[in-house]
Amino acid sequence: MEKWIHQIEEWIHQQPIEQLYVAFAVLVFTFVFFGLFRILRRSKSNTIVLVGLSGSGKTVLFYQLRDGSPHLGTVTSMEPNDGTFVLHSELEKKGKLNPVHLIDVPGHSRLRPKLDEFLPHAAGVIFVVDSLDFLPNCRAAAEYLYDVLTKAIIVKRRIPILILCNKADKVTAHSKEFIRKQLEKEIDKLRTSRSAISTADITSDYTLGVPGEAFSFSHCQNKVTVADASGLTGEISQVEQFIRELVRP
Amino acid sequence: MLEQLLIFTRGGLILWELGNALKGSPIDALIRSCLLEERSADAAFHYDAPAGCAAYTLKWAFDNDLGLVFVAVYQRILHLLYVDDLLAAARREFSRVYEPKRTSYDDFDETFRQLQKEAEARAEEMRRFKQAGRAPAAPGKKQVPGAASRGSGKQRSSGGGGSGKDESDGYPGKGRRSENGSSNGHENEIKPNSRAQNVVVHGKENGAPRVDAFDVSKLQKLRSKGAKKTDTGGGGCKAAKAEPKKIAKKNRVWDDSPSESRLDFTDPVADRGEGPEVVVADQGESMMDKEEIVSSDSEGEEDEEVGNEKPGTKKKGWFSSMLQSISGNAVLEKSDLRPALKALKDRLMTKNVAEEIAEKLCESVATSLEGKKLGSFTRVSSTVQTAMEEALLRILTPKRSIDILRDVHAAKEQGRPYVVVFVGVNGVGKSTNLAKVAYWLLQHKINVMLAACDTFRSGAVEQLRTHARRLQIPIFEKGYEKDPAIVANEAIQEAKRNNSDVVLVDTAGRMQDNEPLMRALSKLINLNNPDLVLFVGEALVGNDAVDQLTKFNQKLADLSMVPNARLIDGILLTKFDTIDDKVGAALSMVYVSGAPVMFVGCGQSYTDLKKLNIKSIVKTLLK
Repeated sequence: MEKWIHQIEEWIHQQPIEQLYVAFAVLVFTFVFFGLFRILRRSKSNTIVLVGLSGSGKTVLFYQLRDGSPHLGTVTSMEPNDGTFVLHSELEKKGKLNPVHLIDVPGHSRLRPKLDEFLPHAAGVIFVVDSLDFLPNCRAAAEYLYDVLTKAIIVKRRIPILILCNKADKVTAHSKEFIRKQLEKEIDKLRTSRSAISTADITSDYTLGVPGEAFSFSHCQNKVTVADASGLTGEISQVEQFIRELVRP
Repeated sequence: MLEQLLIFTRGGLILWELGNALKGSPIDALIRSCLLEERSADAAFHYDAPAGCAAYTLKWAFDNDLGLVFVAVYQRILHLLYVDDLLAAARREFSRVYEPKRTSYDDFDETFRQLQKEAEARAEEMRRFKQAGRAPAAPGKKQVPGAASRGSGKQRSSGGGGSGKDESDGYPGKGRRSENGSSNGHENEIKPNSRAQNVVVHGKENGAPRVDAFDVSKLQKLRSKGAKKTDTGGGGCKAAKAEPKKIAKKNRVWDDSPSESRLDFTDPVADRGEGPEVVVADQGESMMDKEEIVSSDSEGEEDEEVGNEKPGTKKKGWFSSMLQSISGNAVLEKSDLRPALKALKDRLMTKNVAEEIAEKLCESVATSLEGKKLGSFTRVSSTVQTAMEEALLRILTPKRSIDILRDVHAAKEQGRPYVVVFVGVNGVGKSTNLAKVAYWLLQHKINVMLAACDTFRSGAVEQLRTHARRLQIPIFEKGYEKDPAIVANEAIQEAKRNNSDVVLVDTAGRMQDNEPLMRALSKLINLNNPDLVLFVGEALVGNDAVDQLTKFNQKLADLSMVPNARLIDGILLTKFDTIDDKVGAALSMVYVSGAPVMFVGCGQSYTDLKKLNIKSIVKTLLK
């Protein structure tokens, strides 16, 4: 081992000094180049994550965005749907289009831990809510939304969230204002019950909103907006707008 | 005839379907209660559409390489022999046509019709052949339980396990394997004559206490008994539920000793005023609220596994298997998985997981890995290990929220007390852990009240009284020899009056086979409709956990008068500190009942109550 080191040192000393300088400069330049590249690339992540309860319409929305139609229909997803593509509605546009990396995470409660794998790379989160069957699932949806809003990654990187009230084409679907108010109320209640517990129960790392005031989405540090859409009929213009804002700054 | 055949991706998109529209949503139910619950090795899944309009049986096949699922749906009263055959053939053909980005496969219709005709023809031939071969033995097979709907013609090891249990139920104990074909043949013969007979056979199947306990479909069926009870469940071997007249409760006499005249030795008001017991001011934070420090030791691959694998794969040769694992082109076959799975199963069993559960889990993992291509640089054992870890994580992750405090607040808003009933067999620690839960709730400023509905065991009421005095909370008691259901009812009303937020109801321990006691328990639960039925089980129990939970759930469902029976909602695991790393009881209990573990009791003082740390359990199980 030491003999080798000695030999290498001798060999280095034998080389002309300019070559050594050049070699060193090349190395430094490569490192700097890669470093810059990684830093620049990180801020331009183009991943959007679709989350929501089981049955809210995420997979339909995924295929609507990708192909323009949900094909023959969907069933409960067992695995995430992952795709990088140009949005279907933008295919007709000319010019260089930025593909979007869209991930549809299953909503079934047993598969919740999968969400943590995808959030670190997300540039934006779309939280899909079933506006037709909203009231029976209001508590579960609020709990899921609370969990998402208080994850460390979301808070630190201020990842914008779009709350999408899906199935808005149905007659008995609730309006997005109603859903927003209900969610805010439920999260307010969750805040008090969760913060009354000490450290072990808080699976999330941060508390939401301003203590003492009723919770409202404007209290969040990251941008939270509400929109409605219909995955089945294809009225997803607000979703696409959200995506375009994020992916092509 | 098949109602429908569906092909969909694991991500949820339907690629191809053929058939009529189905009532209800059987596919979603299949995914949620079977495939995601790691019961994918089951033979079939039964689904009852809500409002009782249709009953289907579903069978499925996986193509793990392409990530596809093939599901066939047909009416439950039919016994189609060719479904498995057809699924396998459809899988073969479709994998040829499949392309990742393609989403419409209309040309597959023709291929499928062809396959269907072929499969039907093959089944007809087999049936005729079997009929000819077994005609002399045909009579007397009518008593065989309806094995047809469970894996017609399939030879599965789970069938062997089930037949063992059937013997204990008093049915003609023949090996199930030989029975399948013959019973099918026979039943097909009698099909045109008597549909009713099939229904009765099913009735027997439903009625027989099935102890191959993974029929969660049955669990759900039990939930939605309703109309089903009258036709299928009625003709079963269930004991007569309705007692002709209400007999006054007599003392239980275990041997021939003369019964005591007076059993209630509680001194009346005299010892109420005593105060030598120390009032528990504050023993500190309950461990529920402490963050559990999980030591993150490295999860390195153990190389002993390679040793386990070597003897099994000798036939393939070490070099070629090494080459394949590097190049990553090997397609996993069942024979490859078997040694790794056997090693895993043994490891699980040394960790005190019930044998049947370990078996079922391994089969389910095998089903999900068969046909998959090995990634490069991975060994079979590591793939199996990852798959098993994911499966365990999935099972132990609760299906619904276990945030009790939130539920208590919700009940408070509605103006009623939150009622928790603790049930379990004798000596598992119900009363002790009830006090721990009360302590924890008290620490969160919730008004708790205890209800002493254990009116049988000597000293039970005093025990609770002592706890109540130490914790300074009200207790509702009526002494001994009273009907627990009525005591609980009055306790809840009392709680409403004195504004208690939570009522913790203690019941007597009872064995799961004891019919009158289970009936009394069922009456208590149905009369009072608690918010949470907590099954208390000890972590030391081994294979009996499966039996306990199944029988409890079954009795609770059978003996209830209402269609939507209350089943066990949560599990409280006790005596966790006495097992070092043999944590398998948690897994067995969660798998069998589908209920999440809400608390873990890990000691005998008030603060020894904590939450289940799923990741550490999975790590311990697979270490």
